[in-house]
Amino acid sequence: MLFQTTQAHEELRAKIRAFAESEVKPNAILMDQESKFPAEAVKKLAEMGFMGIPYPKEYGGAGLDVMSYAIAVEELSRVDGGTGVILSAHVSLGTWPIFAFGTEEQKQKYLVPLAKGEKIGAFGLTEPNAGSDAGGTETTAIDKGDHWLLNGQKIFITNGGVADTYVVFAVTTPDIGTRGISAFIVEKGWKGFTFEPHYDKMGIRSSETCQLNFDDVKVPKENLLGKEGQGFKIAMATLDGGRIGIASQALGIAQGAYESAVEYAKERVQFGKPIGFNQAITFKLADMATKLKCARMLVYSAAEKKEAHEPYSVDAAMAKLYASEIALEVTNDAVQIFGGTGFLKGMDVERMYRDAKITTIYEGTSEVQRMVIGASIMGKPPKSAGGSSSVAKKPAPITGVRKGMILKEGGAKERVDALVAALKKDGYDFSVGIPIDTPIAQAERVVSAGQGIGSKENMKLIEDLAKAAGAAIGSSRPVAETHKFVPLNRYVGMSGQKFKGNLYIACGISGAVQHLKGIKDASTIVAINKSSNAPIFKNCDYGIVGDVNEILPLLAEALGMEEKQPAPPMVKMKRPPAPKPEPIGKRYVCMGCGYEYVPELGDPDGDVAPGTLFEKLPEGWACPECAETRDKFIEA
Amino acid sequence: MYCVRTVTDNLYWVGANDHRTHLFENIHPIPRGVSYNSYLLMDESTVLFDTVDWSVCRQLMENLDYLLGDRPLDYLVINHMEPDHGASIEEILIRWPNVKIISTAKAFMLMRQFGFTVDNQELIEVKEGDTYSFGEHTVTFIAAPMVHWPEAMVTFDLTNGVLFSADAFGSFIALDGKLFADEVNFDRDWIDEARRYLTNIVGKYGPQVQVLLKKAAGILDKIKFICPLHGPVWRENLLYFVDKYDKWSKYQPEEQGVMIAYASMYGNTESAAQALAAKLCEKGMTNVWVYDVSNTHVSQLVSEAFRLSHLVFASVTYNLGIYPVMHDFLMHLKALNFQNRTCAIIENGSWAVKSGDLMQKFLEDEMKNMTVLGDRLSLASALHPDKASELDALADSIIESMAKE
Repeated sequence: MLFQTTQAHEELRAKIRAFAESEVKPNAILMDQESKFPAEAVKKLAEMGFMGIPYPKEYGGAGLDVMSYAIAVEELSRVDGGTGVILSAHVSLGTWPIFAFGTEEQKQKYLVPLAKGEKIGAFGLTEPNAGSDAGGTETTAIDKGDHWLLNGQKIFITNGGVADTYVVFAVTTPDIGTRGISAFIVEKGWKGFTFEPHYDKMGIRSSETCQLNFDDVKVPKENLLGKEGQGFKIAMATLDGGRIGIASQALGIAQGAYESAVEYAKERVQFGKPIGFNQAITFKLADMATKLKCARMLVYSAAEKKEAHEPYSVDAAMAKLYASEIALEVTNDAVQIFGGTGFLKGMDVERMYRDAKITTIYEGTSEVQRMVIGASIMGKPPKSAGGSSSVAKKPAPITGVRKGMILKEGGAKERVDALVAALKKDGYDFSVGIPIDTPIAQAERVVSAGQGIGSKENMKLIEDLAKAAGAAIGSSRPVAETHKFVPLNRYVGMSGQKFKGNLYIACGISGAVQHLKGIKDASTIVAINKSSNAPIFKNCDYGIVGDVNEILPLLAEALGMEEKQPAPPMVKMKRPPAPKPEPIGKRYVCMGCGYEYVPELGDPDGDVAPGTLFEKLPEGWACPECAETRDKFIEA
Repeated sequence: MYCVRTVTDNLYWVGANDHRTHLFENIHPIPRGVSYNSYLLMDESTVLFDTVDWSVCRQLMENLDYLLGDRPLDYLVINHMEPDHGASIEEILIRWPNVKIISTAKAFMLMRQFGFTVDNQELIEVKEGDTYSFGEHTVTFIAAPMVHWPEAMVTFDLTNGVLFSADAFGSFIALDGKLFADEVNFDRDWIDEARRYLTNIVGKYGPQVQVLLKKAAGILDKIKFICPLHGPVWRENLLYFVDKYDKWSKYQPEEQGVMIAYASMYGNTESAAQALAAKLCEKGMTNVWVYDVSNTHVSQLVSEAFRLSHLVFASVTYNLGIYPVMHDFLMHLKALNFQNRTCAIIENGSWAVKSGDLMQKFLEDEMKNMTVLGDRLSLASALHPDKASELDALADSIIESMAKE
């Protein structure tokens, strides 16, 4: 065994290197400075057939092996890490899941243009509460019969915005953790699918990264990727392959920095000779070269294993862990060898030093790689009282279970009318009211102003609405404390006045935790805010996403501006009971002892994960209490 | 003195009554006593169906000596091995060393575990559907696992239609001379104790009772007598009792009505419970039953909960938790698989009211299909007239929920 790449591999490397040197490198500084996506270069890569290197020719790919793909990412990253990850995210993350799990129809429709490079792919898994732990996924896809309704956000998405095809992960069965996640193919341009502006990143600035928003996006039934509930498996399998891509990227970045350092060490003369002959520098270069060789061996070995369909998960984790960590060391040493020069913008090594950092973070941090590698050594840890992370912990809204009815249909007037109708149906009588200066603690209704209200003149809107709603005036803390629009004793919150009445209308209030804690006893919470992501919307019964300047006058008018009759003594309106979660499956009882199998709980002692249906219990499973066999159970 | 009664031709009750045991299973009070039923069939062979508690073993022996005379006891059929029926096995074996024992595999295992030396006997292991003939009478065996022990079976005499039903269809209360359910006013004098027996002893095993009832339904027209191990023998109006069992095992209430269980330290929570009871009656719902959990045995609370459709839990806060006796009641309900009821909550606390949230959480998270009405009445130390409208709303809400059913 010679541990050498083939001639074909080296020919491919020469081809891509030539392209990278001539087409990418000259623009690398500019792309970094201006955070500019190399659209031209990507187009040329597609024309050269490099966007689908490891996919079969019949699906528009180049029909080459995984090693060829790794070399391509490495060579692009050698001159620009951002361009390297564009290819890696496209091939490994955006395209591979469709190649591996897609139906023939999905492959024809999506894989072919992706492999040809006519379309760019991306992958949407990470969320604010779900990164390393996919069990925290909050994006949901609800089965609406002929389509799925997708809602939520994805953050840090490489190729976000520039990509045409997205593989997105969402919860289809709540409360059962990772087994309730499914994968979907989503196209740019669908209604409700929007992008936030790109992040201003530390490195890999030529690649575009942004947040994806899904707001009632209708995903056709046929765009479910794999089976329902298979999402987590698809994501993990994809990331295994993705790690080879990122390892290659780290290797390329380090290689580029190393080559620059060697060149500089030969040129820069101090004490009468090139600094490279100074042993302190020579040894540094020796270490850099050794680390690079190690990393390359790990990366290529993982790629070869994947190509041969050998289990490669741990190999990919080792390659990614090592290559990314030595990329930090090698780029750091390269800047050190460059000295003050390397600290200046415009130097390759300065950019590579920044570019390298992300490789120890994305597609599984170094810590997660160590978890993967460690688990392969130690196996599953013994059960802890903390429970399994595969069971989603539901972040309960601070104000308790609320109706969460966000009014979206129709224009502002229609939404306001729908709100007033709903409130009246709940039993609110707007022909009566309380004085607007009623103390908050005694008020039956409060209209409250937050910073979203804008300038002080807009308090007139609040005042009018309070009168129309027969309510007292309240505010968030900053409105009283910082802006002084109302006296301090009118601010509502845990640290201020607590509202225990019936109706609370929050206008331009985003919903800080301490504020929400102060209104958790409210019978009804109405939220009006222009940002649909404001936490108040997760804590309200009714919400209207809109500008207070538009909504408040309409609402006041709909409630009626006439003089209100004095309200009778307050009758506290009770909150409706929280809907109970539907059981995920039938319970069964043992005829040998009365033990009841509850699918939501599984059988922890028998290594049966929570969420396992009775019908899906493994062969040979027996009652944990009395060891009767499965056929001795009856439906509970 | 022997004390026996004839069930039907050649079949005799040879059991005994017990008024001295205070606590059945050492947990449930039995102020009116209990009977341990054992039955003797005088066919070509002599057959004893189950034995009795050790405390009344001598009565059984006297009864057997009287009826058997010079004949030996040939067979002992054990339907249920719980010691209130199985404890006298050892004595039977000593007196009739050649007796053959008929039972299930699990029952033989339990006999050995309890220390009876059965391995010198001929043991006839039977399972569902097996038949055995004693001469004129042929019996068949029906498995009844987890009603309420795993080894249990019932035996049906195909010749005369007698069902030896083990603990199923049993009841508290000593027979005291009577034998048949039609010899007492069962619906007036017995049903409450029969319910308290079933719900507390077998309550958890509703699905298993349902399985047994379905098997029984297939032969219902052939059943002439039901001979349980406690309480009276049924030979008339069998469906009355079968229907009760069906409801209990499906966790369906027998009656629309309200049980108000309160836990009160100084009478303030009690006062709120009474005010609610009066309010309900005022509004026309008079099937209201109020219990102080501190001085009502939990087995009676459980029994009443099974009977009625609506439950109100009124509890003071104690050590920042649910009042311990109320908590115990809830734990019993949960352990018995109690479900399918509409509940309301009254909570009290003088500085931190916690009992309501905790009871609600218990009912919703720990139990099955319990609907907690949203109109919780919350007291700070005592109920005052300013909350009259809330009390009214709570009563309305309970009555409204009844209308929906």
